[in-house]
Amino acid sequence: MNAFIVAVILGLATGSIYALAAMGLVLTYKTSGIFNFAQGAVAAAAAYLFYTLRQSDGIPWPIAALISVALIGVVGGLLLERMGYALREAPVASKVVATVGLLVGIPALLAAWYGSSSRPFDHFLPSHPVHLFVNVGTDQIIIFLLASASAVGLSLFFRRARLGIGMQAVVDDPDLLSLQARNPIVVRRWAWTIGTSFAAVSGILIAPTIGLDAPILTLLVVQAFGAAAIGSFTSIPRTYVGGLIVGVTTALSQLYLASHSGFQGVPPSMPFIILFVVLLVTPKRLLLEKGTRLARRLDFAPALNKRISVPTTLVGLGLLIALPQFVGFRLPLYMTGLLFVILFASLGLLVRTSGQVSLCHLAFAAVGASSFAHFESFGIPWPLAVLLAGLVTVPIGAILAIPAIRLPGIYLAIATFGFGILMQRFVFTNRVMFGSTDSLTAPRPHLGSFHLGTDTGYYYVILGITVACCVVVVLVQRSRLGRLLRALGDSPVALDAHGTNTNFVRLLVFAISAGLAGIAGALSGPVTGFTDGLTFDYSISLLLLAVLALSGRRALASAFIAGGLLQVVPGYITNATVSAYVPAFFGVAAVAVAVVPGIGFAKRFLVARRVRERRGASPVAERRALVRPEVVVAGAPLSGTGRAGGRNGDNRVAERVEMARLGAHQ
Amino acid sequence: MLELLDINAGYEGSTVLRNVTLYVPDRSVVALLGPNGAGKTTTLRVASGLLDPAQGRIVLDGVDMTRWPPFARAERGMCLIPEGRGVFAALSVRDNLRLQSEPGSESDSIDRATQTFPRLGQRLNQVAGTLSGGEQQMLALARAYLANAKVVLLDEVSMGLAPVIVDEIFEFIDRLRSTGVSLLIVEQYVQRALDIADYVYVLNRGAINFVGEPQEIEGEAILESYLG
Repeated sequence: MNAFIVAVILGLATGSIYALAAMGLVLTYKTSGIFNFAQGAVAAAAAYLFYTLRQSDGIPWPIAALISVALIGVVGGLLLERMGYALREAPVASKVVATVGLLVGIPALLAAWYGSSSRPFDHFLPSHPVHLFVNVGTDQIIIFLLASASAVGLSLFFRRARLGIGMQAVVDDPDLLSLQARNPIVVRRWAWTIGTSFAAVSGILIAPTIGLDAPILTLLVVQAFGAAAIGSFTSIPRTYVGGLIVGVTTALSQLYLASHSGFQGVPPSMPFIILFVVLLVTPKRLLLEKGTRLARRLDFAPALNKRISVPTTLVGLGLLIALPQFVGFRLPLYMTGLLFVILFASLGLLVRTSGQVSLCHLAFAAVGASSFAHFESFGIPWPLAVLLAGLVTVPIGAILAIPAIRLPGIYLAIATFGFGILMQRFVFTNRVMFGSTDSLTAPRPHLGSFHLGTDTGYYYVILGITVACCVVVVLVQRSRLGRLLRALGDSPVALDAHGTNTNFVRLLVFAISAGLAGIAGALSGPVTGFTDGLTFDYSISLLLLAVLALSGRRALASAFIAGGLLQVVPGYITNATVSAYVPAFFGVAAVAVAVVPGIGFAKRFLVARRVRERRGASPVAERRALVRPEVVVAGAPLSGTGRAGGRNGDNRVAERVEMARLGAHQ
Repeated sequence: MLELLDINAGYEGSTVLRNVTLYVPDRSVVALLGPNGAGKTTTLRVASGLLDPAQGRIVLDGVDMTRWPPFARAERGMCLIPEGRGVFAALSVRDNLRLQSEPGSESDSIDRATQTFPRLGQRLNQVAGTLSGGEQQMLALARAYLANAKVVLLDEVSMGLAPVIVDEIFEFIDRLRSTGVSLLIVEQYVQRALDIADYVYVLNRGAINFVGEPQEIEGEAILESYLG
């Protein structure tokens, strides 16, 4: 009984921290329509800054905390507001890419600066025990009270304060808010500052219990997603309660399940189980997407001229065939590069073509890799084992079609994110996947005297399968299914109205995409000779999306570019300092591509009309140039009533305008 | 007085308004008529600041607000009720009214709004998006009353509403006028607009081609401009 109470108290304390992060997340999402996947990364950044100020520079903790929250929360919040503003008309996929870019980039930067090893983080809140039935740490009480007070304050603020109400209004119609004498920019700045400060505070509070470790810190605050899901991503009080629920269930599962073999994976994945299940059972009407009213649709690259595409393809293929002759010992880089081409092509089918964001693509590959190793060990012939591995992955993809059918855009991305981590924490660790040693052997094929087992031989095997997979992707793109997918990305409602079963289309595309990813996974083991769960870390799925976003809009070209960027290029960087920054670069570049006009993915979204709502630096001059008077005279059918005739057409009209002005209530 | 002086404006390379000059004198009602695509909504967007003109000036009571953002104009007494339903669909009626009112006078404003539109009073806690079209329009119009504006711009406020509701809305416009604000209205019910207007401007292809008092305008002249 005592152990139970202690676990509950521990759960309430950590749950309070999740609640803080989650409430900040909900606040910014409600206001901007941007679901900040990087909320945890922001928290980690604040913890690192706090650590530096306090433990390295010796600044007293209250001041260090104040500086950290001010710098990360306020300055970071204002920067994020700018990002959100730039993205307000972007499709969901770009919004996800931007914050996922931050989620990849910030921890990578922290790891590059501070090194990737974990450091101890001193407690700073007083922790002497107070006796309330059992011993409770003062720090736990403080954290609990802080979160509760914030929840009450924020709820009242939303319900009562004009600024709070304005925050809920600004996401749907900033113009209308502006017409009501409220500056939408100020409203959004407040929201982002408050929301980001909450993340910063949660990062500083949670760091003492887990130490200074960027990926873990990031992930822990990501658990706030589960809390936000319980609050349907809109309700502050329910999000607060959600945080406590996540904290307490995690602590209790730790107490009761951690010692049972087979269930060790449950406690750490509890928040993600909650997230995934809540997303699946929450009634659809509660999960309304914010900020889609302004969203533009996906746009697609125009088809390439055959005179360009055919020679490029042939030259590219020729180069790939000749490759083993001149890359020497770096050939394995290209093998994995080609595997990633398959992964990117299949991810592109989901993200690019049909506008559905998947943040768990590597989970499919892991299933493929593990099934391949098992099939191979059963003595199934090599080619058949690869094919079967792909087929085994298909139902996993079909499972994800369920949230895809149920949930609108952003919530699908969140669900896949939860699913990816869940698979890694819960399924990969199970012996069924990678055996008791977390490693399975994965042999290369044999075919008589063809030496397929050598690096060069296996490279050609991979190349052949990659080309086959690319052909599949091209066929899908060009078929009726491809058109349906593009229609789905453009407007699911319109597709429904045409009498198409959109559910089936979603199911099909997830199945195909997962199957291809499974094949890529199956091929990955034999590159090194064995396969394990670590290779398929969820963070790589995030990296996949970020790098795909960098690589242009064309289905196949982007897959090859992305494969090269992610796998081959880093292999040529020998300088350790530079290579430490590579993931950070991908993350930051993905943000840039999503946000800045004129490059890559977001090229078309933001080019001209930035200024429905005016800012100081609005490109008025740009648009003036568009509507120059000369153009007016040259292009307008002003027949007879041109400018020469007077300001408003003919003189009679001008005269009358003057009369109307002067004749006011004569 | 609201003055639009020699306005040129458009969207992304296409010019909509050409040298439009228009005055809304104090305590008067000006009707802005014209066929579809003539530039009526664009004129109101330029006046309210939602769209920057490429050329020309917007002056309210002698203050040049050409480069002012919409919220600054609203603070100085400009009030546009936009086309469609100018309400925040996700917020409750009460919250919509709170946002509409001036700081510090929220509860007073809600009382005034519900006296004017008793139907809204019965639905204060309902989410605005679930109101009927007519009720949403009343909620949007309430702002014209609560914002203590000097000049109110109404963009097709009767569009898509039942005739009974349209009557109610025109009654409201009458009442609004009697409080002393000036009005610039864009209306599809041409006759009703002519009945209440002091001055009429007819816009065609982005240029003003008739200005005058309602009596002067013959049915044919309007028809001609509407049908091109």
